[in-house]
Amino acid sequence: MIAGTNKELKLLDKASAEFARKELAPNREENDKFPFSPFFTPVLEKAYSLDFFHALLPEKLGGIGHGVTALSVILYNICREDSSLGGIIFTHTAAQEILLAADAGNLIQQITKSDAPVNECLIAFPTFNNPSEIENMAVFKKKDTGYALSGAIDYMVLGGLASHALLPARYDGTNGFSFFLIDLAAQGVSISDPIHSLGLHACPAADIRLENVEGSLVGEERQGAAYFEAMTDRMSVPAAAMSAGIMKGSFSEALEYSRGRFQGGREIINWSEVKMILADMAVKIQNSEMTISRACQAVDNTEKGWQHCSRAAAISIQEAACDLTTWGIQVLGGVGYMKDFGQEKRFRDAKHLQALLGLAPMRKLKFFKNLVKN
Amino acid sequence: MISRSEIKTYTNMSPKFDDIFCSLQSAPKLPKGMIKETKKVIAIARKFNKEVIRPHALALDLKMHENPEFLPWDFVEKANEWGFYTMWIPKIFGGKGYNMPSMSYFVEEIGSACLAMANLIGVHYLGLCSLTSTWHMRLINRLCRDVAAGEKIQTPCLISLAITEPGAGTDVEEMDLADKGNITCHAEKITDGYRINGTKIFISNGHLSTWHIVIAYSDLDKPSENSVVLAVKTGTKGFSFGRKERKMGQKGCPASELIFKDCFVPDDQICLDPQQIQGLKRSKRDTAMQMIDYVLAATRAGVGAFGTGAARGAYEVALKFASETVVAGKLLINHEWAQCMLAEMYKNIAMARLTYAETNYANGLYGSFREMQKKPMYYYYKFMPAKWLEKMFSPMMDKPMMTKLFRKKQMDGQTDDEIHRTSGWGSLAKFSGTDIGIKNCHMALEMMGQAGLRHDRGAEKILRDAKLLQIYEGTNQLNRLNLFKCLIAGDFPQAVVFDE
Ligand SMILES: Cc1cc2nc3c(=O)[nH]c(=O)nc-3n(C[C@H](O)[C@H](O)[C@H](O)COP(=O)(O)OP(=O)(O)OC[C@H]3O[C@@H](n4cnc5c(N)ncnc54)[C@H](O)[C@@H]3O)c2cc1C
Repeated sequence: MIAGTNKELKLLDKASAEFARKELAPNREENDKFPFSPFFTPVLEKAYSLDFFHALLPEKLGGIGHGVTALSVILYNICREDSSLGGIIFTHTAAQEILLAADAGNLIQQITKSDAPVNECLIAFPTFNNPSEIENMAVFKKKDTGYALSGAIDYMVLGGLASHALLPARYDGTNGFSFFLIDLAAQGVSISDPIHSLGLHACPAADIRLENVEGSLVGEERQGAAYFEAMTDRMSVPAAAMSAGIMKGSFSEALEYSRGRFQGGREIINWSEVKMILADMAVKIQNSEMTISRACQAVDNTEKGWQHCSRAAAISIQEAACDLTTWGIQVLGGVGYMKDFGQEKRFRDAKHLQALLGLAPMRKLKFFKNLVKN
Repeated sequence: MISRSEIKTYTNMSPKFDDIFCSLQSAPKLPKGMIKETKKVIAIARKFNKEVIRPHALALDLKMHENPEFLPWDFVEKANEWGFYTMWIPKIFGGKGYNMPSMSYFVEEIGSACLAMANLIGVHYLGLCSLTSTWHMRLINRLCRDVAAGEKIQTPCLISLAITEPGAGTDVEEMDLADKGNITCHAEKITDGYRINGTKIFISNGHLSTWHIVIAYSDLDKPSENSVVLAVKTGTKGFSFGRKERKMGQKGCPASELIFKDCFVPDDQICLDPQQIQGLKRSKRDTAMQMIDYVLAATRAGVGAFGTGAARGAYEVALKFASETVVAGKLLINHEWAQCMLAEMYKNIAMARLTYAETNYANGLYGSFREMQKKPMYYYYKFMPAKWLEKMFSPMMDKPMMTKLFRKKQMDGQTDDEIHRTSGWGSLAKFSGTDIGIKNCHMALEMMGQAGLRHDRGAEKILRDAKLLQIYEGTNQLNRLNLFKCLIAGDFPQAVVFDE
């Protein structure tokens, strides 16, 4: 539905759905055991080679220059099967978007070398924090040769995986923050073990400590908040699409199970209470897909107020996904709670994704502030 | 202004006074000693949380992520050392005889620190309560004394309840559904006992328990009239453990598969079967349902208390976070919206607690707590030395007459209205407390953002643990239907449940 009638988008829709079905679904439960089982590097490499990481990047920077609709289509399909990969794509793309917003495309080019292994091309980014909301942040100092960063960054997504990280830092004693790109292999960087988290197990995050680490300023000093907000305006729709993908996956599994599971002498789908739960799920999905389609259109055509469409979509669909995946487990009864089925993972992942780009209540207030300001 | 008969008529109109004012009716009848005792129980639980659970719960959960085969024996032994497995066993059976409602407050406390640990202790009493519901006094005495002996010799003796089967979860909890279901655990009557064949799944504490109260059926075409309740000991020939489930949460409390292959259970371990039911006033089917209701009316209040514990755990983590964390320039606790969210969470906890407490009052008036809460009984058992009680009562319990007497009084003595009232309240406490548990977890994680996602901050575990509460002891959907059946449908002869 999100792809609409656009031929190119339909192809992308098909390709990403097929990739997800073939590459992600069969090993979903195994991949989710990370860090207690190997990381799914071959799948990541394949996804990278299929340009899923470059949907928003302009062609001149080596991307495919599609809009957020394309990225939303990709993420929707991927997250239907396994949102960990979705989290990796989202994080990397969010970092790219900040670099683009800061007119620092050159830094992307420096990192993205066509023949390098995938992890060397990825950018880690603290996707679950809005830097404007947090108190403790790394600080930077100006040196003759550039900038030196020190301090801690909590929950750096892809921290132990990517070769570079985009991070916010403050100039000691001042308001506002700036973004810096650092090399995670540089001297002075220490990276924790993968942080065990609620969901997205195969999209690992780590705590990072910096001591006098050299960093490249991204855009202008103290403009970090503006870049972050610009990124959030655009990336909120793909964020919503991830949650919608999870919803669709949860619904499909619940529907299939309800047709095969018998209780009280009939398929449980034939108990009207179960049917009602499935109907509620279907309504939520239908509404979410319509919202995302409309929001994609608004963002890609930069319609008046497109930013509000984008942010409202994320807030409401992420919340809907939390409710829906709870029901998704419920329809399966006891087996829904078990790791052998996808439902428990979707429940965790949906809640995890609700924290994307900062505290959900703060994002709601920000949305409202922007709305009434205009 | 109003005559006596009018008062009777009006208070019998829906909602009936007796259905909705259990606490008011119960409070004056309760022994005062229960308050002091309950205070003590809460204090013990808090001390245990501080000294045993909080320092270890997250590490155990992580260990289980890494190695789902691990069994938390250390914890099981610790709880045994603290005397938790006998705390709510009546003194005449060798236990400590704490009042039953205090267990709900206890599991709320423990559940606020770790639901898996609360379940591990609570499920032992689910097993015991199921055994008690058969009123087979000799077996009750035997198993309870085994548990007490296990405490003395520091070898935990736990009891599980095994009713769920691969093809029947909801169906085994409701006799209106059982006969249409795919029930396969067969108890064949042979000389001197039963031969059991079949599989039970998702059995909490399975691998950790010494005794298992197993419900099988002597005629699979008509399970509702042929329930056989058996006490099966770990190690019995023909009985083995299968897989341990890989669960999303409550990892510290294993859910086990129990496999029975030509497993012989002697007659002296049969707690109840169709033959024993003969002579009771209700039909076999209604007696089986009464037994289920009798157990679940009490234990579902306990699950409501788990839900309250989850709601509290989530609230406490979020409150701590809000009081320490600066968000957008000021402490989160000083954002007005966060204050309202915390107030909402606090209210949710209070509502959930009131609901399970009211269910306990109902059980005290009409259900499984009734006998022990009568003032003379309560004080008699409280102040009589345990040794004396054992000497006097233990030999009596072996007499079949005692079982007969207790069954007559407890089973035949309970009216249909009383069964419905307690069962309906049990369901109400279960689904409202557990839905509230999940609600507070969601709110906590929303307030905490990234910090809420991390295992080391403790919030995400509560959400994973809490989700189970909406499923076991009957899904919340089944419990809504049971509430309808027990507290609403009675007034409408045209209402049909489980047959749409
Ligand atoms: C971790 C865990 C521990 C457990 N511990 C124990 C234990 O110690 N002992 C024990 O015996 N059992 C235990 N259980 C089993 C538990 O009680 C069952 O899982 C529960 O009763 C639901 O049964 P089911 O899983 O078979 O779901 P199903 O009965 O298959 O239900 C699937 C879905 O269909 C719905 N449904 C089914 N029938 C109807 C109907 N008639 N009308 C409307 N909707 C319907 C349900 O609400 C649910 O949404 C445990 C389960 C788990 C997951």
